[in-house]
Amino acid sequence: MSALRFNAMHFMPYVHLPENHKQFKSSWVNFPNKFYNPERGHELYQRYVQELVLADRLGYDAIVINEHHNTVYSMMATPNLIAAALIPQTTNVKICVWGTPPNLMLPNRLAEEYAILDVMSKGRIEVAFPLGTGMEYWANPVNPATARERFRESLKIILQAWTQDGPTTHYGQFYTYRFLNPWPRPFQRPHPPCYIVGTGSPETIEIAAEHGFGYASVFVTQQRAFELNENLRHRAAHYGHTIRPDQLPLLTFIYVAETQEQAEREYVGHLEHFFSDYLRTIPHYLAPPGYLSVDQLKTRAAMADKLHGGFDFNAISGSFFVAVGTPEKVANQIGDWAAWMKTSHINGVMHIADMPHWKTVKNLSLFAEEVIPRLRSRSDIAQRVAAE
Amino acid sequence: MAKFKRETLTVDGVKTVVHSAGSGEPVVFFHGAGTVDGFDFAEPWADKFRVIVPYHPGFGESGDDPSFTGLHDYVMHYLELFDMLGLDRFHLVGLSLGGYLAAKFACEHSHRVKKLALIAPAGIIDPKHPTIDIVAVPGEQVPGLLVSNFEVLRQRLPAQPDLDFIGERYREASTVARLLWEHPADPKFMRYLHRITMPTLILWGDEDKIIPVQQTETWRKFLPQADIKVFKGAGHLVHLEKPEAVDAVATFLA
Repeated sequence: MSALRFNAMHFMPYVHLPENHKQFKSSWVNFPNKFYNPERGHELYQRYVQELVLADRLGYDAIVINEHHNTVYSMMATPNLIAAALIPQTTNVKICVWGTPPNLMLPNRLAEEYAILDVMSKGRIEVAFPLGTGMEYWANPVNPATARERFRESLKIILQAWTQDGPTTHYGQFYTYRFLNPWPRPFQRPHPPCYIVGTGSPETIEIAAEHGFGYASVFVTQQRAFELNENLRHRAAHYGHTIRPDQLPLLTFIYVAETQEQAEREYVGHLEHFFSDYLRTIPHYLAPPGYLSVDQLKTRAAMADKLHGGFDFNAISGSFFVAVGTPEKVANQIGDWAAWMKTSHINGVMHIADMPHWKTVKNLSLFAEEVIPRLRSRSDIAQRVAAE
Repeated sequence: MAKFKRETLTVDGVKTVVHSAGSGEPVVFFHGAGTVDGFDFAEPWADKFRVIVPYHPGFGESGDDPSFTGLHDYVMHYLELFDMLGLDRFHLVGLSLGGYLAAKFACEHSHRVKKLALIAPAGIIDPKHPTIDIVAVPGEQVPGLLVSNFEVLRQRLPAQPDLDFIGERYREASTVARLLWEHPADPKFMRYLHRITMPTLILWGDEDKIIPVQQTETWRKFLPQADIKVFKGAGHLVHLEKPEAVDAVATFLA
């Protein structure tokens, strides 16, 4: 039986948007950086780091950070710096860097940075490998048309660096290493727990399956997340790997308050702001040329047509994992989802958009003190998960 | 393309569709970074020449080869195709990205090109008059940049682009990204332009919004022997907007 695990995830957005921000079609890629005020940025970093440190104090199992570029959505262009700041301020919590797209960094360098963090934290690091959103390829000098081949090669180099005694060599399509011999090596052997991050495309599932990695899905509907987990278990078995329930983090938006009405009143505006403004971008940035196959592009374009229309909390809650309400309701919802998804790993987005500090602290505290104990006492979840 | 005969060939494993018409001295046309503009403009050439219009791999009716990552792969592709077609020496005409390719082909295999015509060719790096980085332009904004008089292009575009049209444009943009994402132009291209020794004609619209007409000055510097014709009131697709540009090519090649 797998013990339930709870993460607190934070996007660290830049929240001081200019009044006219809706005039910009995208809050990514070309959203002018003159709107970034470093003094406000400093305050936000101080605050967000405190919130993640609080998650450690409150007994969360892990805190989760990730990487994006040229956007108000995230101030973590280099999440390893954030992880380095979190290590000395936390004691028990795992620090999940989910993660730096390997394509955006020299692979040996990424292997080194994760190893440094792992050694510094005495083995508290978990990493995930995203291909990176389409937007990242507009911000970085890397060809989206060859991104998938480069991703595979980068991953191979990183794993070789971690698992084989150096020096080794690598002669590939994108990189040549005459002396792959990074110091230090990771604290955890053979390497920190690894996940692939993605939206469940067959290619990324296949990569996770081949390596027996976990899969951290992002912004997928409940049904797609379910199918993704099923597919990964099935494909991993093909390669002789068994995917454990803790390798399938279930990403859910969470807000807990005293009553349902109060929870919605305090939260829904922030969630709407998140979907309407922080995620706002244009198809050209979402899918740079070559980033998707033509078939995938057409599928997504057809989907985008269907998703047209304003923000609707009920529609969003109905299709994505959104747990908003009293401790009892949130616990029941998450418990049922975990059992259905056959996962023991809950990845909670505990802060969203311009949610103020007090709400974040309240949410983190209520979830830790009122929801987690309820879920841990539900033996049926662990049994149903383990029944798989 | 009533006059054109369509032929499907396999060139080194890549499906290659070639349209041809007419008889006489062969004229090969290299299209640009998209194919919505069509080839029918070239019909008048078929009155005097054997006109050969291939779709580049990754564009239009031809197949894909994701291993093509640079313009040189296209030079190699065309060496094979020309051998298959039994073309030893021929006239070469290139438009935009196809002009860049034609000039590169002519640099490397100058003995095979009798005369060279370049229509608003890409490839020049001119910091004072930079080429628009078309890769960065959202697809829906591209048509407006292609011509001066939009009516010329409107009839070739669907009123409401459907998924197939969007998919086909994305496919062509992906092919371009594979070639040009890192470097919209090869810094070494101009280094070898002096190897173009055959008679050369360069055509440009003075309202080109993609490659500024001022780049003709750079071409003049590298190819002092070239004849340069600028057409007033025409944009990037000068051959669609000005039939006299098409005639000028025919006259030059005759």
